[in-house]
Amino acid sequence: MIRLEGISREFQVGDERVHALRGIDLDMIPGDYLSIMGPSGSGKSTLLNILGLLDRPDSGRYRLEGIDTTTLTEPQRAAARRERIGFVFQSFHLLARLSAAQNIELPMTLAGIDPAQRRQRVARTLRALGLADRAEHRPDQLSGGQRQRVAIARATIMRPLILLADEPTGNLDQSSGEEVVETLETLNRDGITLVVVTHDPRIGERAARRIRMVDGAILGSG
Amino acid sequence: MHITDTFGFAIRALRGARARSALMLLAMAIGIASVVLLTALGEGARRYVGNEFSNLGTHLLVVLPGRTETTGGPPPLIGGTPKPLTLDDALALTRSTTVRYVAPLIVGSAPVSHRQLEREATILGATAELLPVRNLELARGKFLPPGDPERGAAVAVIGSALKQNLFGNAPALGRWIRIHDRRFRVIGILKPMGESLGMDLGELAIIPLSRSQSLFDTESLFRILVQATTREHVARTERAVSEILKTRHGGEEDITVITQNALLGTFDEIFRTLTLAVGGIAAISLAVAGILIMNVMLVAVSQRTAEIGLLKALGAPGGEILRLFLVEAGLLSVTGALLGMATAYGGVWAMGHLFPDFPIGVPPWALAAALLVALLTGLLFGVLPARRAARLDPVRALSGH
Repeated sequence: MIRLEGISREFQVGDERVHALRGIDLDMIPGDYLSIMGPSGSGKSTLLNILGLLDRPDSGRYRLEGIDTTTLTEPQRAAARRERIGFVFQSFHLLARLSAAQNIELPMTLAGIDPAQRRQRVARTLRALGLADRAEHRPDQLSGGQRQRVAIARATIMRPLILLADEPTGNLDQSSGEEVVETLETLNRDGITLVVVTHDPRIGERAARRIRMVDGAILGSG
Repeated sequence: MHITDTFGFAIRALRGARARSALMLLAMAIGIASVVLLTALGEGARRYVGNEFSNLGTHLLVVLPGRTETTGGPPPLIGGTPKPLTLDDALALTRSTTVRYVAPLIVGSAPVSHRQLEREATILGATAELLPVRNLELARGKFLPPGDPERGAAVAVIGSALKQNLFGNAPALGRWIRIHDRRFRVIGILKPMGESLGMDLGELAIIPLSRSQSLFDTESLFRILVQATTREHVARTERAVSEILKTRHGGEEDITVITQNALLGTFDEIFRTLTLAVGGIAAISLAVAGILIMNVMLVAVSQRTAEIGLLKALGAPGGEILRLFLVEAGLLSVTGALLGMATAYGGVWAMGHLFPDFPIGVPPWALAAALLVALLTGLLFGVLPARRAARLDPVRALSGH
């Protein structure tokens, strides 16, 4: 379903060119649970951004469901993000002026899904995540764990194939983090492909496939 | 601006969308209010002058003897004596189809007396047509009766001031007055109307044309007033009048035709130019509003970088984000414009109450133009920030750069 071949990405930092990714090869099948670990600057976030079509590799091929994404135009990439990819961020990225329900609704609003269906799906998702009584709360009225679960609800409301989580527990205490990871794993058991970037070994070790990155290259996977 | 002030301003602007929006609304409202209010003032001035001139009758042409190139001036003193205008000349003008009324006039001055009281008054020799042509109104009685202009009865219509001077509060209708050495019966009294065409309508006695001819022992007319059927026909009537009189005077163009239309047209033009100029000045404030909107929007874009990054990650293409920001700018402009219009209407209403004589009014084209300009300003100055937002790199935007 996902195939990366020889993906490289460089950045210009001052006078230096930094090799964020050097010839990454990676395959994933539907329902995979993959963790990417490694120190800061090892390129794990860059890899996640490329997987999420937020960034383009300088060289190499990225095939998503048989489509070569490197040839897609920007609007096509946006459409692919909308329909196939869900993002969970360390800092939640909820819009402060919107309620939990409205935040979850946002991708469907952008996709032009009709309001009745949107409300139905939001309500169902809120119930599934145990947040039904928080629907009208604004992000600043929610705990960190609740915020991240709202963010996960938003990431999955379009029923994507793949869920990309960048340090999803980074801003949470241990018990909230645990809750969030369990939520993600439940979704994975239901069939979604899950990629978690973390430098917390306790989270990373839980994944079925574990990738270690150093200096823009995959050291090993287990 | 001092650097700390700049920082202070930036910090205040960053405080929240509510303050930001209020600021933009205010800017746009002030711009639009000034445009609408100033054009309304210009339009009011135009209407005011127009009304003043309309009191003289808008379809009016004045024919005077003598040729003069500049309109409005007296006939030239040199260049030979022109042929006088006669009653037959006036009657000939009625042949033109675009002429509704022809009112020949003789003007003189004579003592008017009733018993022991005597006043020197302007005597107007006229026909029944003078009433509609000059929009005269009667306070009492009747105007000169229609009929053969060669044979007028010994009757007079007098101005309100003259009546007051000769009769006081006693009734004057049906009484006899003496003009010079002839007796006239008073059949009507004019409403007080003030001055018109340089004559005091109060101190006036109007008598049949034939009577004034013998009173002043003259055949030549002072003026012929011609009323065209409509204001649009004034120009055609002017040509017809010139043509007819030229033929009658042996091919000699020895008359002058003054149309108020020319005068009104000139004033219309002057005031339309004035309104546009004033509107243009006000438009500068709109441009200032536009630039302010652009600045605040740019601040908004940098403030909402993370949000834009998120929208991109959620699958909003650049075009969508451009549209979102343009709609914001457009909505703010239009709402601001509506607020500005409401303010302007409030101002116009207040001025209407303070100065009831001044016919201030918002011209409909100004409203439409203001709304359009506001929208265009908002969109134009919104494009730059919106494009900046649309082009943000999602990875950098999400990390807050």
